[in-house]
This record gives sequence, C-alpha cells and structure tokens, in this order.
Amino acid sequence: MPNPVFMNGVPELLILRTLEANEMYGYELVQAIRLRTNQAIKIGEGVVYPALHALEAGGMLRSRRKLVNGRTRVYYALTAKGTKHLAGLVRHWQHITDAIGLAIGGTAHAATAL
Amino acid sequence: MPQPRFDRLTERLLHAGIAPRHVRRYVRELSDHFDDLVRVEIADGAARELAETRALARLGNDDDLAQAMLERPELKSFMARHPWAVFGIVPLVLPLLSVVAALYFEIWFITHVHGFFSYLTGQPPGPITARLATEVFTAYNTLAVYGLPLLFAWAFYRLGSRQRLPMHWIVTGVALICVLGGLQELVFYDKGYVGGGVLLFRSGLFAFAPMTGWLYSPHADLVQEFAHAAMNLAIAGGVWWLSVRRKASSAMELHTA
Repeated sequence: MPNPVFMNGVPELLILRTLEANEMYGYELVQAIRLRTNQAIKIGEGVVYPALHALEAGGMLRSRRKLVNGRTRVYYALTAKGTKHLAGLVRHWQHITDAIGLAIGGTAHAATAL
Repeated sequence: MPQPRFDRLTERLLHAGIAPRHVRRYVRELSDHFDDLVRVEIADGAARELAETRALARLGNDDDLAQAMLERPELKSFMARHPWAVFGIVPLVLPLLSVVAALYFEIWFITHVHGFFSYLTGQPPGPITARLATEVFTAYNTLAVYGLPLLFAWAFYRLGSRQRLPMHWIVTGVALICVLGGLQELVFYDKGYVGGGVLLFRSGLFAFAPMTGWLYSPHADLVQEFAHAAMNLAIAGGVWWLSVRRKASSAMELHTA
C-alpha cells in the first residue's frame, strides 16, 4: 500500500490489534502482522519500533525486558488505555472501509450502467 | 553494546534531538531484529553475505529508519526542544539552590544530631570537639562550594554531548555554572565557647542586586569569589581541552589502524 496518507494510523491499528492477545517483541510482532495481513502491507520492518516507542510514550503500551534464549528482548503489551484506543481505531477504520466499499460498489455500478 | 552497523543512524537521530534513551533502545532493537532476520535467512539456505543484504533490505534503509523516528516529536528530548531552559535558565538557579540545600542540611545536622562530635572524640563538648566540628564542617563546605559547581559543569557537559547539542549551548551552561557557582560561599568558624559556632552563607550574586549591591557596598570577599569563578572556568576549560585532545588522538589512532 504505497500512499502514505492512507497509511496514517494503520501501523498503530495493526500493532495494537496484534498485541491485544499476547505480549510480543519487535521481530515477533512484525512476523505476526505479516501473517495477519497476508503480507499485503509491506513496510520496512524496522519502522515498527518508533511506533512502538510512541505508543508506549502515549501510555497505550507498556514494555518490559525479558531474557529469552540468552538474549534480552523488549516485550510490549497493551495497557487499558491502549485497549480503549484500539476500540476507537477499529470503529474508525470500519467506518472508512464501509464508506470505501460503498464508493467502490457505486463506481462499479455506474460503470456497468454506462 | 556497540552497534557499529547503526552508527550513522545513531548520530543522525541524536543530532535531530531524539532522546538518547530512545535512540539506544531503537538501535538495540534494530540490531536484534537484524540478527533474527539473518538467522532465518541462513536457516533457509542463504549464504551469510546474502542473508545480511536481505535482512537489511527487510529492515529498511537508513533514511526510512531515521524518518520513522523523526516523525514522532514526542520522542524528542526536553533538552533538545528547550535547550535555552536547560542550559540558560537552570544554571542561573542551580548553584544558589545547591548551596542553600547544603546549608540547610548543615543546619539540620547541627540542630538535630546532638553529641556527634563528643561521640567521635570521646570528649565532652569543649575545644577538642569544637576543633573537629570546625574541620568537618569546613571540609563539607569546601566540597559544597568548590566541588558541586564542577560536578554540575561536568554533568551539563555530559548531558549536552550525549544529545549532540550545538556547542554554544553546552559552553553557555558550563560557563554559567562555573561563574555563578564560584560566587557562593559557605563558612563555619568557632568563636571559642560551647555553642559558639557560626555558619555563614554569602553569595556574590546579591552584590549585584540594586538593594544589596549598589546601595550597600559589596562584601569584602567578592574578589575572592571572582577568583573562585575564574578557577572554576580554568578547571572546566582545562578538562574540556584534555578531553577534546584525547578524543582527537583516539580518532587518529583508529584512523591509522
């Protein structure tokens, strides 16, 4: 998805949604997002971290260091504030996708009529 | 742990004002992510060099990685957003506040910890305990008045350098701390009878206030305080010069190697 305007808020939505069930570290999270989106959204994997830091600074996520296989990982988990924010984002995006769905359907209908 | 692969990214983010703690964590996370990607690529049969090239491509180039961080103003440090407050305002009040805090601690100690010097010397209050008290309080005052400004100057230098702030802010902060720190004075002396200790706080800052300075003559030790300020500046400048020289020589050795 190349248009950055349409990507506004998407990384946050995907991150919060993916972290809803389990805490994860960055690499794990990126792979989970790739699987969930069927690799439709391709962004540099490293750019997920500034979004994680910003969400943590905003109180949506909390992080903790955990030793896994001899390496210290930073695990991120959703906070109560993050859960509430996610619900708002999901509503917002459902509204947008419904609207776009309608618009695409309308265009297709008009084209067929022509 | 040094992450040479991301050195340029680190410098770029620090210069742009991203808080050092966020930069350090970002680079550490990127490095771990890179290692994970390389491991997976190698497990899939790629040679190390190819695995690293693919891993870097998946991670994103330096421009993208930097841009993603720079788009988040909340990740900038307070110091980078308001250097005038940290290096212009704080040094104006910190030397005075620190000496006043040291003075209050000394007053609290004198009024609350009774019999301390008698306990140390095994003597009742008298000339011996008074001499020890004078020595201890003089040492404490010297540390507070001479040590703290230099400690603060060092801290300001470290903070500014860590954030890669422009040199003029660091120099301003260090110079203000050195000069204003030199103008504070704490003195304890014994008047020769039990309970006759005198604790004196003087600040050359007040000598310049219209009500205390120009209408009343500045206290006699003002010259000594300016000498102290000059000494602070000389020490800070000397340490700075040595540190710059050391860095330059290390860089030269690295280049030669």
